[in-house]
Amino acid sequence: MPTIIALDASLSMLRPVPGRNDHTYQSLALKGIQHLLDNLTASGKLEHVALVLYTTVCELKVDFTRDYDQIRQAIKKIDPLDKACLLTMLKTSVSLMATWGTQNLLQLVVFTDCGPGFGSTSISNFLEGYAGKEAEPEYAWLKILATYNLNFICLGVHADLYFTRGVALHQQLLDAAALKGQLFMTKPVKNVETGDSTPGCSHKSELGRTALFELIERLCDCSYKSTEVTLKCGLYFRMEGQVLLWPPPMPYEQSALYVGDPTIRHIDQRIDVCGFLALSDIGSPATLSRHWVMPKVEREKPTRRSGGLAAVVKPPKLTLDTSNPHYELEKLEQDIRDFYMKDTKEAEESGDDADVSVMLKHPTTPQAEQQKDNLCVLLHGALKLENMAALVLLGEKWYGFMYAYTDLKKKSNFMLNILPPGSHVIPWLGDLELLGFSTDLAPGETASFPVRAERRSYSQSSVVWIRQASLQSDVQKVLRHAKKMPDKTQHFYKELNRIRRAALALGFVELLEALALLLEKETTQLTLNGVSTECTLQLQHAATELRKTSNRDIKSTIVPLQKATAADTTTAPAPAQGGYLY
Amino acid sequence: MFERNQKTIFVLDHTRYFSISSEQYISMDYLKGKPVPESTASGNSIVGTQLSKSLWTCAVESSIEYCRIVWDLFPGKKHVRFIVSDTAAHIVNTWSPSTQNMSHVSNAMMMVSVPSRSIPQSSDYSVIHGLRAAIEALAEPTDEQLQAAHFGCKQIANEGRVICITSARDNTSMKSLEDIFNTVLLQQNALVAPPAKKGLQIDHCHLVILNIVPLGVESLVTNRSLLEISPFLNVEIHTVNAPDISDKLLHLIMGHYDLASTTVTNIPMKEEQNANSSANYDVEILHERAAHTKVCGPDFNFTTSIKPGTAYETVTLKWCTPRGCGSADLQPCVGQYNVTPVDVTSRPSSCLINFLLNGRSVLLEVPRKTGTKTTSHMLSARGGEIFVHSLSIARSAMDEAPSIIDGPGGRVSDYRIPEMGQLLKMSRLVPLKAKPKGKLAQGEHLWRRLPRYFPRTANVTILFNLQRQLSWLPHFLHLIVKEDMDKQDEVRCQQQIHELYKSASRGDLLPFSNSNNARLKVSKTKDQYRLFYRELEQLIQLNAHTPHHKNLLESLQSLRAAYGDAANKSEPSSAHLRSYTESPLSPERLEPTNSMSSSSSSILKASKRRMSSCGQRSLLDIISSAERSQSNKRLDFSGRLCTPLGQTAKLYPDFGNKEKDILTTGIVSSNLKDESIRS
Repeated sequence: MPTIIALDASLSMLRPVPGRNDHTYQSLALKGIQHLLDNLTASGKLEHVALVLYTTVCELKVDFTRDYDQIRQAIKKIDPLDKACLLTMLKTSVSLMATWGTQNLLQLVVFTDCGPGFGSTSISNFLEGYAGKEAEPEYAWLKILATYNLNFICLGVHADLYFTRGVALHQQLLDAAALKGQLFMTKPVKNVETGDSTPGCSHKSELGRTALFELIERLCDCSYKSTEVTLKCGLYFRMEGQVLLWPPPMPYEQSALYVGDPTIRHIDQRIDVCGFLALSDIGSPATLSRHWVMPKVEREKPTRRSGGLAAVVKPPKLTLDTSNPHYELEKLEQDIRDFYMKDTKEAEESGDDADVSVMLKHPTTPQAEQQKDNLCVLLHGALKLENMAALVLLGEKWYGFMYAYTDLKKKSNFMLNILPPGSHVIPWLGDLELLGFSTDLAPGETASFPVRAERRSYSQSSVVWIRQASLQSDVQKVLRHAKKMPDKTQHFYKELNRIRRAALALGFVELLEALALLLEKETTQLTLNGVSTECTLQLQHAATELRKTSNRDIKSTIVPLQKATAADTTTAPAPAQGGYLY
Repeated sequence: MFERNQKTIFVLDHTRYFSISSEQYISMDYLKGKPVPESTASGNSIVGTQLSKSLWTCAVESSIEYCRIVWDLFPGKKHVRFIVSDTAAHIVNTWSPSTQNMSHVSNAMMMVSVPSRSIPQSSDYSVIHGLRAAIEALAEPTDEQLQAAHFGCKQIANEGRVICITSARDNTSMKSLEDIFNTVLLQQNALVAPPAKKGLQIDHCHLVILNIVPLGVESLVTNRSLLEISPFLNVEIHTVNAPDISDKLLHLIMGHYDLASTTVTNIPMKEEQNANSSANYDVEILHERAAHTKVCGPDFNFTTSIKPGTAYETVTLKWCTPRGCGSADLQPCVGQYNVTPVDVTSRPSSCLINFLLNGRSVLLEVPRKTGTKTTSHMLSARGGEIFVHSLSIARSAMDEAPSIIDGPGGRVSDYRIPEMGQLLKMSRLVPLKAKPKGKLAQGEHLWRRLPRYFPRTANVTILFNLQRQLSWLPHFLHLIVKEDMDKQDEVRCQQQIHELYKSASRGDLLPFSNSNNARLKVSKTKDQYRLFYRELEQLIQLNAHTPHHKNLLESLQSLRAAYGDAANKSEPSSAHLRSYTESPLSPERLEPTNSMSSSSSSILKASKRRMSSCGQRSLLDIISSAERSQSNKRLDFSGRLCTPLGQTAKLYPDFGNKEKDILTTGIVSSNLKDESIRS
């Protein structure tokens, strides 16, 4: 989910936050950006982030990167400039995002004090101009923007009329242009009537670092949550595990089968491995989206105060739970593991069978996670080894496939390709619901990929004579074979019948006559050149047969003259009347 | 679901006029090898070497070409029908898939043939019959529409297109044709109303009239672009010279099905005459327009051009010489579409087609604005069909992938990956003709058959690590996981369990392959059998499909008890046993108990059963097996004798002494067998 962080760098951002002398809006916004980056780092540093500053102009400070330190450096010095123009920034974002195409979900996070803008660059001015001109090309970029996810971190307090007016305008803009947007702002403080509390105090609780960080966390929960599903590969409990899909699969809008409104579909919470296919059998089918499949790890939330409470918590010892349905199996695994361990360590305590430790350590450190076996890694390894993919069921009649993908840098990871819903989405695999194991085949039956389609026009010898050249080359071919008879007698008649059938289908009887004439001419020529009588006999025979109206029937086929080879007399007799076989 | 182009009906005028020549002459003269001496040439030679198609032939070949493209690009999805009209309407094919193919249509057309020139001009001969029939045909449901009705869909969309190839005298007669069509359409829809209820309501019809005339003849009918006659009917009229009708239809089909044309350029082809050099050729193909629009990006443009003689744009993409790029390589593909060549019979087309059908794929390049090139499309054939794949060329958020070995579980070294690989190969999917019977919901029957027990790493399993060393084990494991275990399988397994018990009793060490086993502590020999038993028990429990499994489980639990390992699963096992004893399949079983004496009796019983059931066994086998069971009994007894009451019998006090001898003899090498993996 490529993200542009847009920071309002207008002069109004330099105002101190009411009641907070230590913070300006800008310094608070910078804290917010830091916290957002902290959150993104904690969830794996997968997002590409760019930073833009906007005033009346919009400047790209850091292009898309996963190296968040670049952004952290860039926000160290921000030169504030005149006034904010939100629309310039939005328009620029569209062009900045263009490299990502339409396959990715694009996000915008705007840190602003929601200034309404001034004069010609104000939001209200834009809304006036936009009304009624939605379809005009100058506003075409808004259509693209509508596919993005816009998040506004609105910095301000509700007692500030300037802020609330600005927020209202932002919302109007989102509504008018049908943009997918969300305005994140602090909750208004309710207990204003308590007389003794100074206004400063109430502001302090309304907008400060804590309140802002809450906004950022809400934003991350809404927009940067990776999808967590259960991957299941058979019935054994170890062949099942929580995995994260990144980027999160987008909902699919499926149009109704016959009538009605389209339905929005999400993939199931559990995805089942149905079986396995060779990657070479799958080929490159059209996919909706691709995702990394990563084992889920319990991560600690980034602490708000770095170094504050970062004291290492002692990993709690987790005893195996006897009420766990897999207690027996887990205990067995643990016992076997201990059995091997004691082998290697030559444990000093004599292997008294009675007290096998059933303690499992709860892994918290990354090292521990790396040491803990995981279904994803096992499946990935086997798929890579065999060059195969696992077909997975993502929902009702909705499939995908998982495979090991090695990128240009030879790094290998586990991928999921989500296919469009339906069971007939890969023609060469046939109906995916009809896949089974070879044990399902009847004895003696064989089955393999690809599932063959009916023959298309290009894989059968179609006759199309729309261009003169193709007709001529077909006729030439017959004549070529004619010259080489008797060697090519079979070919000659095959081609002749092909042309004849095509001509009859097209009602092209003129061609039959023309072809008969050509054959006769050829006969004459060959006779002059003293070519074998067999050849001339066959040509004469073919010409006669072509002219016969009785042969203009779907079932008739012209067959070679049988008598010709038998009657090897030097004088060429007229074609025998009754000598052909039908 | 049911778009307008789902149903197309060609109405072909088969009146006398269509027997006349199109006046475009095709020369056959150049075919002569050497000039034929005048004296021998027949007087007809001039006529014979020049020929012309009739209007009928032009109409038929172009309409067949139209449906060739439709059926190539939308197999089974879009339907085309033909109706031939003279004194009556002749139905060439129906909506049924069996008649929706080229060979059916051309065979039927053979029987129609060119209209006879001798028939008299008569008002009986008219295209009106065909148009009426076309409207009736539109009201007939296709298989898909029937299915929709079957699923209870009330409002089935029903639109269609009628392409009428005829020849009208002037605008007035064209107008009357149009009026009649409109009237019949309204009448037909009236029939759908409740009393008659015939066919489907026609929601909309698009009538395309092609007025054809021979070359060089001026028509009095004026062209007219799309005009809405009524809410149900749009009509357009085109007058074309007969030889140009194919071009006209090709132009129209692009709009009718939203197609686009791609010209693959720079295809290197060897010349037959000159094998060393290769000339470059272009091949034009057709496909859905989406193949172009799906691939989008800001920094490149498709180069389009209009070929001479055509009226539509074609996108030029450059052939990329395949560099070891088999069709196996997984490309990031956002859309795949059937393709068909515009000129299916030309030599460049068939060269490209054969190249693809032989299993190779071709990447196609599009120039970027920056001057570099990107492969935007791929052509490949699978299952005899050629597809164009639209590749994703925008920047992907998934570049710079994190390696899986850096993630959780990435550093574990003893995953059972080779065994998992075996499993993959065994659970490889194949296309079936029909769904296997008696299975569950979609997809479910498949994953239910994946293993019920599969330890992820080698350090948590004993059974699977011993497969190489114990030759009987793979087959044994295979038998155990069989869903349809029969009596004979059970007997074999019982025998193996019994053998195992014997070697345990002897104190044989299990032949682990890893070297550290050599230092195995004496006290651990007991452990290894206990763990072996426990794992085996779990395996059987997870795979308990039949009463035979339950029998095995019971014997094993008895053995575990006999070996001094308390069967802590006494509750469920007795439940299993109860269900077992009630089973009619095995009536001769004794009422079991959990005591040690019963365990030996069950072994005895098992061996007795073996004796009775196996006819092929020799007398020696029977006696020795009986003796074996006797000796077992004695063994148990002596063990108990040596132990004071109330204590667990310590059976083999002299294990350590024998250790070394047994280690060397116990190792039996065998190859890992595939069957054993599926457990």
